[in-house]
Amino acid sequence: MLLRGAQRHRWHLTLALAAAGSIGLAQAADAHPHVWATVHSEILLGANHQIIGIRHSWTFDEFYTAMAVEGLDTNKDGIYSKEELQPLAKVNVESLKDFDYFTFVHFEGEEDKMLPLKPPVDYWIDYDKNVLTLHFTLPLDKPVDTHGKPVQVDVYDPSFFVAFGFATEKPVTLAGADSKGCTAEITLPDPETAADTKALTESFFSQLGPNSNFGSQFAQTATVKCKDSHL
Amino acid sequence: MSGAALGFVRALLIAGLALLFVATAVQAEFKPISPFAGTEVVPGAPSAFARPAAAPFQASGPLGRVFAWVLDKQQSLQRTLAMSVKSLKTDPLRGAITLALLSFVYGVLHAVGPGHGKTIISSYVVANEETVRRGVIISFIAAGLQALTAVVLVGVLLIALGATGLQVNAWSNQLESISYAMIALVGLYLLLSQAKSIWRRWQGDAPVTVIEARDDNGHGDHHHHAQQDHHHHGHDEHHHNHHHAPGEACDHMVDARQLAGSISWRKMMAVVFSVGIRPCTGAILVLVFALTQGLFWAGVAATFAMALGTAITVAVLATLALGSRELALRLGGTNSTWASMVWTTCAIGGAIIILLFGVLMFMASLGPTRPF
Repeated sequence: MLLRGAQRHRWHLTLALAAAGSIGLAQAADAHPHVWATVHSEILLGANHQIIGIRHSWTFDEFYTAMAVEGLDTNKDGIYSKEELQPLAKVNVESLKDFDYFTFVHFEGEEDKMLPLKPPVDYWIDYDKNVLTLHFTLPLDKPVDTHGKPVQVDVYDPSFFVAFGFATEKPVTLAGADSKGCTAEITLPDPETAADTKALTESFFSQLGPNSNFGSQFAQTATVKCKDSHL
Repeated sequence: MSGAALGFVRALLIAGLALLFVATAVQAEFKPISPFAGTEVVPGAPSAFARPAAAPFQASGPLGRVFAWVLDKQQSLQRTLAMSVKSLKTDPLRGAITLALLSFVYGVLHAVGPGHGKTIISSYVVANEETVRRGVIISFIAAGLQALTAVVLVGVLLIALGATGLQVNAWSNQLESISYAMIALVGLYLLLSQAKSIWRRWQGDAPVTVIEARDDNGHGDHHHHAQQDHHHHGHDEHHHNHHHAPGEACDHMVDARQLAGSISWRKMMAVVFSVGIRPCTGAILVLVFALTQGLFWAGVAATFAMALGTAITVAVLATLALGSRELALRLGGTNSTWASMVWTTCAIGGAIIILLFGVLMFMASLGPTRPF
């Protein structure tokens, strides 16, 4: 009887764990964004076509905007001035650090080797009584050469709380004294190709935790290529 | 499930679907207007103020296609919702009806996402001797409480105290952490109490309980308040190994039922409260948006319409969970070992899920403050 009990015990445990596991999987499918952001990015080119930074403008949806600006019209004149919104911009860019600025810069094919970024500079918020736009510049830790492999900039929130999408018009532009011979293009994940099973499995198992990677499958990428115009 | 309970659930499903269709039709009617309607953007004129259109969301693989579609629908629903709030100023009646319907649909769909208690409530009803009717009641009270929390939070902080949106956000994050911690505690309590009663049974020293008849789900009225000790009938023998003619097995099914947690109002209220103190993010966004448009009442109405939608989704999921437990029980026929296995699995598994979910979500909620 005792032995039987122990065996049954094991059975129950297996079943219970299987049930817990399947609910965990079901949970994975339901991450969904609460904030929507339209992305414009300017790739800052320095000497010899080196990328020195990225200037972002992120325009948020009306709901988030209403929430974010509420109570910030400190002088109650009905206008949300740049000065009144500056504390919000500061909070935003400072807390972006913990999320890698939602900006992942790497050479093409080297998605697991991110090029380090420096804290944002030159940040402010625009508000047009409808939606707000956060502007900030992310300097690269070291200028990156663009003549070899193309350089890619992914903008996304791995946890998918914020859904980032590049704008349909002028999603990415090149800025700098000499951008001749350089191109910047946007690529979206291709529904025709098979899913990246590795990313998907990872996202399944980490979905419940703080390191969820569900958003990566929607990641949109800006690719920068330069031909050497000086040779 | 008894006929009455099934009928109730069916009616609920049909009503929900009907409302969904109506609301989709209303949304379609609104659609032709540009998503930026109400902002008085001159059509055609390039404006720095119009919200720029973003590239469509895409993901690879067939599953990605589904996700992308859901995402697209969610975004357009949210935009239409914002528009309908604005339209309240020009066409109050139509605007109000549209807003209520859209919020309802938003609630139904939104509840599929995390944080609306569907995992907790489903696990709880399965792990305990709950009925469909009580599952539905729990879902509705929890959703109502979530709506109330959101309204009180926004009302008190923004209207009474003149706080900022950022502060509302911070408060809502605090409540979220508290909610998850409470969920973990509820899970732990359930796990310990179920494990204790099951362990006693295995030891064979706990007298087996027999309840009158198998008065199936549908009726919430046989409370076995408190522990099984109240029901000693002095059955010391083990029922597992002898055989009966079919139909006689009922007693043993009822017997096995005791493996699940007993129902008690205290347990139920703990579940409802732990889920309900977390305000729904979607509701807060709509409330604040409505407030900035000078139409807080519309936001309140929308929040409760949303809660109705959420409650229906959660109730349906909880009912499905109870249905699968019932199915699992039937698969075993008159096999009482099977029945006891199903009940034990449900009791322990459900409690473990609630505990794990609470712990994981609590840890996640302690992470760095989100910028947006």
